This record gives sequence, C-alpha cells and structure tokens, in this order.
Amino acid sequence: MTVRPIVLGLAGALAFLATASAQQPQAPNPGREAVMSKCFQCHTDAMFRDARQDRRSWEAAIYRMIGRGGLYTDEEIKLMADYLGTEFGPNAKPATPAK
Amino acid sequence: MRELVARYLNHSLSRRGFVRGLTKAGLTATAAQSVLGSVSSVSLAQDAAPAAATSKAAASVSATVANASAAAVKPFQGTGGAAFAEQLIACGVKYVFGNSASEDAQFYEALVDRPQLKYILTPHEGPGAAMAAGYVKASGEPTIVMQAAVVGMANAIGQMFNAWKEQTPLVVYSYRTDQSRRAGRDGFEEVANQEQIVQPITKFTWLSRRPDMIPETIRRAFKAAWTPPNGPAYISWHSDYNDERVRTEIIAQDQFDPRMRVRPNPDEIERAAKLLVEARMPLLIVGDEIYKAKAVAKAVKLAEMLGMPVTQVRQLYANFPESHPLWVGNVPAGTLRSQTWPKDADVIINVGNKFQHNSPAPIVPRGPKFIDMRIDFASMGNVMLTEVPLVADVGLGLDDLTVAVGQLMTPALKQKAAERADEVRRFSENARKLRGQVVNSPDWDQSPLIADRVTYEVAKFADPDAIIVHEAGSVALHSFDFNPIGGRELFFYYGAHLGSGVGTAAGVKLARPNQQVICLVGDGSFVFGPTALWNMARLELPVITVVYNNHAYSGPHSRVVSNVPGGRMVQTGQFVHDYLGDPDMNMADIARGFGVKGEVVETPAQLREALTRARQHTVEGKPYLLDVQVARKGVGWADKPWTPPIRIAGLRQKKV
Repeated sequence: MTVRPIVLGLAGALAFLATASAQQPQAPNPGREAVMSKCFQCHTDAMFRDARQDRRSWEAAIYRMIGRGGLYTDEEIKLMADYLGTEFGPNAKPATPAK
Repeated sequence: MRELVARYLNHSLSRRGFVRGLTKAGLTATAAQSVLGSVSSVSLAQDAAPAAATSKAAASVSATVANASAAAVKPFQGTGGAAFAEQLIACGVKYVFGNSASEDAQFYEALVDRPQLKYILTPHEGPGAAMAAGYVKASGEPTIVMQAAVVGMANAIGQMFNAWKEQTPLVVYSYRTDQSRRAGRDGFEEVANQEQIVQPITKFTWLSRRPDMIPETIRRAFKAAWTPPNGPAYISWHSDYNDERVRTEIIAQDQFDPRMRVRPNPDEIERAAKLLVEARMPLLIVGDEIYKAKAVAKAVKLAEMLGMPVTQVRQLYANFPESHPLWVGNVPAGTLRSQTWPKDADVIINVGNKFQHNSPAPIVPRGPKFIDMRIDFASMGNVMLTEVPLVADVGLGLDDLTVAVGQLMTPALKQKAAERADEVRRFSENARKLRGQVVNSPDWDQSPLIADRVTYEVAKFADPDAIIVHEAGSVALHSFDFNPIGGRELFFYYGAHLGSGVGTAAGVKLARPNQQVICLVGDGSFVFGPTALWNMARLELPVITVVYNNHAYSGPHSRVVSNVPGGRMVQTGQFVHDYLGDPDMNMADIARGFGVKGEVVETPAQLREALTRARQHTVEGKPYLLDVQVARKGVGWADKPWTPPIRIAGLRQKKV
C-alpha cells in the first residue's frame, strides 16, 4: 500500500490526449500544453483515461496536486482546468473502451 | 554509558544528571568525575568543530571509559531470566515492550527487584513493536521487544519488516516454546527453526545454545542492531533456559560496542569537493542518515557554501529545514525527473538517502555526475552510476567535505556560488508562494473535508516544535515547514507495513514527553493498529491522534484504476477492495474503548474547535483522538459506493 510513483510516458500521453478529442488535427492549445508539461512530470495517461468530470472538479484535482508538491501559476491552473473540463468533461467519450 | 554520553553531548542531560547516571550505572564518584572531564572536552571540541580535536578528545573519553569500565564485567549467578534482565540493564535498556508470555516467568520475577528496567505491556505485538521502534527513533536509546514464541513473533513481524526497511536498531526476542528436552515433538506453539522465519528481515538472528549464553546472545544482538547501518536483530532460546540456574558474565555495553564511526576516504573527498566546486548546478539530496547523525546543520553549511539547491526523495524524517531558501521541495513522484527545478543539475550529491526505487527508472538519472555519501554501503552502486562513493558516517563525511570544499573556494568560485544561491532563492520563494495556493481549492470549505484542509488546519495548530507522526499514506503533507533543527520534526514511514502510526506516536511521546506529538493516520492504517491507544491512556501519553477518515483505502483505489484503465471496475463502479463503509467505522468510539476520549469532526469549523479541545486534554496529560470525516476523491467513487452483495440474512434458517 505504498504510494507508487508512476513512470513518465510522454509518447503515450501525446497519443492519448490526441485520441481524447475525436482525433481531429489539433490547433495549438495552451491548456493541453500545460497539462503535457505539468501533469506528465509525474503521471502517465492512465491517470486520465477514466477521469470524466466537470471543470470545477478538474480544478479541484489540480489543487490537490498542489498539495502534493505541484507548482502552477494561476494562469496555468485556469488553462489546465479549462482544457480538461472541455476535453475530459462528464460527456466526453471514454478514450480507451474496455475490451 | 554510551547513551548517557550522547545525551550529555546533545545537551539533553545536565552535568549533575550525567554524573548521577554514571554512578547509578556502577561507577564510583571519582570515576564518574573523570568521565565527565573527558566528555566535557569532547563537547568543547565539537563546538569548536575541527575533526582532529574531536577525535583526540573522543579517544581520551574512550580511554577513560575503558578504565572506568574495568569493573563493568560482573559475574552473575541466578536464573536465566534474571541474567536476561541484568544484561538488558547493562546494555542501557530502560524500557521493555512486551506482550504476555508465560514462559518468561523468571524474567518477570527478576523485574520485581529491578525497578530501573520498566516493562510496558502492549496488548498486541504489532503496535507494541511500533511503539518500541518509535521510542528508539525519538530517543536514540536501546530497547527490546519481547513476545510469546512464534505466535507472538508472527504478530510483530510486520513491524520488524518496517524496522528492517527503515534501519531501526530494534532488538526482538521470543523464546522457543518447546523445552530443550522435548523439542521437535510438535509441542504447543512449536515450529521448527522459528528464528529462520525472520532471517531475511533482520541483520542478525541467533539461537542461544546454552542458558549461560543468554547474556552473550543479548550483547551480540545489541551490537549488531546498533552498529551502522542499523537494523533489527532477533534472538531466541528454549523456554526452559529462563528457568535454569546459570553462572555467567554480565558485561556493560561500552565493553562490546565497536563505536563504529567511519571517516570517508580522503582521496574520494577531494574528488567530490572538486566536482562540487566546478559544477554549474550541483544538487544535494538529503536523507535519513543526516537526521540520525544529528548532522542537519552540517548539511545546511555545505549547501550554503556552494549555493546548492536541496531536495529529498521519500524518507522517514525531514532532513533539511523546509523554510531555508536553498530548499526546493521534496521530489514529488519518486525520481528527479519529476522535479520542477533544477532540471539541469550536472553534479548530484546524495547524503544519507537510502533511495527507495518504486519504478524501474533510476531516481538519479544517467548523465549528471553522482556522489553518494552514506554508511549504508550495501545499497550504494546498485542502481545509480556512482562517480564518487563516500562510505562514511555522514556527520564526519560532511565535516571533511566541507573542509575540502572550503579549501578549494576561490573568490571567483564564491561569487559563482553566491549568484547560484540567489537563483535558488528566487525559485524557492516563488515555489513557496505557489504552494500556498492550496487554500484556493474550490473544495476548500466543503464537508466532509478535503484532506488538504485537514492538513492545513493541523499545521496551523501544531506547536513550533511539534513532532508529526505520519501514517496517512494517501495524504501528502504541506504547510508544516518542518525543521529538524529545533523546529517541527517528521516521523513518516518507509516500509509500509501498516498499523505503525499510533504505536510509533506513543513511543515518540514516551521518549520526548516535552514536545507536542500529533499522529496523522488514515482510517485504513488506523484500524491495523489502534491498541497503542490503550498504552497512551495507561501511561498518560498525551498524543493527539487525527484520523483522516474517508472510509476507504484511497491509495489502492487510485492505483487499481490506473492499473486497469477503461476496465469493468470503472464502468460498473464495482470495486471489491477499497470501500470501508457500510457500516462506517467510528474511530472515536474505538478510542473510547481503549480509554481515550475523542470526537467525530465533520466541518472545518468543527475541526478548529476540536483541536482546541484536544490541546486542553493534552495539557492535562490525556491523549485525544479526532475522527475527521474526509471526502473520497478520484475516479470511480460514487457517493454511496457499491459493496459486494454478500449477506447471509437470506441463508439463515434459524434465528440464532
């Protein structure tokens, strides 16, 4: 029952975040970039695959990461919460349906 | 005697108390005064710092102690149990932590006329061993844990495992329930080779072959456990040996303690110093050997000389002042790659960190030059490439390295270090500000509380020199500003056999009665080891226990979701392994059963009021418990989680 740190997997993360938004070619998105640079320092995409919640809940999750040592500016918090609340909101499709 | 000297040198014992302790230990008044003279010169030498002076004075103490201890070998005649007690006293043991064991009758008999050896009855061996370990860690004094045969030992094994992982010098004893003339005949509680069960998690295991060898076995266990790198030792003997009459020797601890304090190789010190002063961005990782060696101030000095940022990977203690401008924060996710800054360290020095690798990636990445200083030589070089190994007592190692760095520091290098220190300070000030944003969470005022709010309120409440015992595995601490130099101290865990927190807190309070002790524990951990609450009540150990009660194992929940993303568990909400509600456990009621008052807390306002009441109780010498209702957060949690439909009501045919 130890806290198990997770191996960084940027390549997988990129692929995953691409599939999460209907696989359309993506314009640069500062929220997505902030998530890539901040969240994937510690997490793999597995942390996001099943998370579907509204913006407020994502914002609360980001603040929980501050409690765990995450360092984000106000602007970064806003960008990440906006992006995650949109792309991983309650009605977003599961990225990796169970087989 | 070693403990007396250590306590005197640490200024936790007065001159008068020191002399009184020596005479109590059997020295004449003259011999005691002589030892005092030598020890005082060591104390002066330590204050003056030069290592050579310290070792000269230490040698002088050793000589005096050796002479004074000539009478420290006592012939003994009596029962094996009494020899056991006598040898523990000679080892400097004050407290014995045990659970009832009828075959130790002669030992208990011996305690009646040896009030200096105090037996603490612990109602379960696990929390009892945790209490002993907490006492050892907080006092630096030896103790022993004893239980009944293999059945008691089995209950203590979890905490022996923790002591092994955490390198705690815990000595554990249990008799073999079989008597020597009927061994191997499947007797009550008998198992073959019981000492071998704990061999992989102890530094030393031994079975006394003769009753007169009980004292020698005890001495060897204490020597093994307390010689760095420390670790638990296990000893055993046939139960009838305690009843037999023996002629043997009782020998004072200073006669067999190798006093191992290793100085690093001077050539390697020079190489390390050169690498550090020439580095563009050196980084210091601190670890528990620093706390154990009471060398925090030395680590601060080295960091300041070099303007070097400081961090820490998971450890038991806080080993560096967290409000220091060179402190850049703990590594958040196990490896240095998860650290926000600096990302470009070219020379990394570890001082005393054991490096718990929980992933295949090395904590220190390939690339930067790596200097590794610790006494735990066995774990050096196993994973990371080590440019400069420095096997040493880290206190002595830091002394030597600081001197060597100082000799290389030219004005230009000092300027470079000062500029780097400014850069680190700018980062740490900003990081401090960003960490402070935790209070802006949209869930901050919610009930049940979020864990961060509980932590924040406890941190605001805690005394400036409080000791925080932390066994809330899914809770990351913030806001405490730990400072092992006279500020708040942390006692976390490393081994992760759960159920240690409450026992550890009891043992810490026993060792440090004049400091506030707050135990932070998750509900899952708490129910593995609440029996030490009874010890708090009986021994009047005023510990404040705060249970983060989310009625769940939230760590295993998150990791299972992460391990099976998109799986059936998430789709259906059917998690069999994590929900502890239905019915909810009431920890305040559990505490009441052990004689500890407490209350359930549901809102932030209630928490503040409850902490005030907790303080009132502790002022009066009574422990107190807060059962704080904490929100479950993360993927897949329902408001009312599913539980497996296992109920036997429908199967009952008789109302019995």
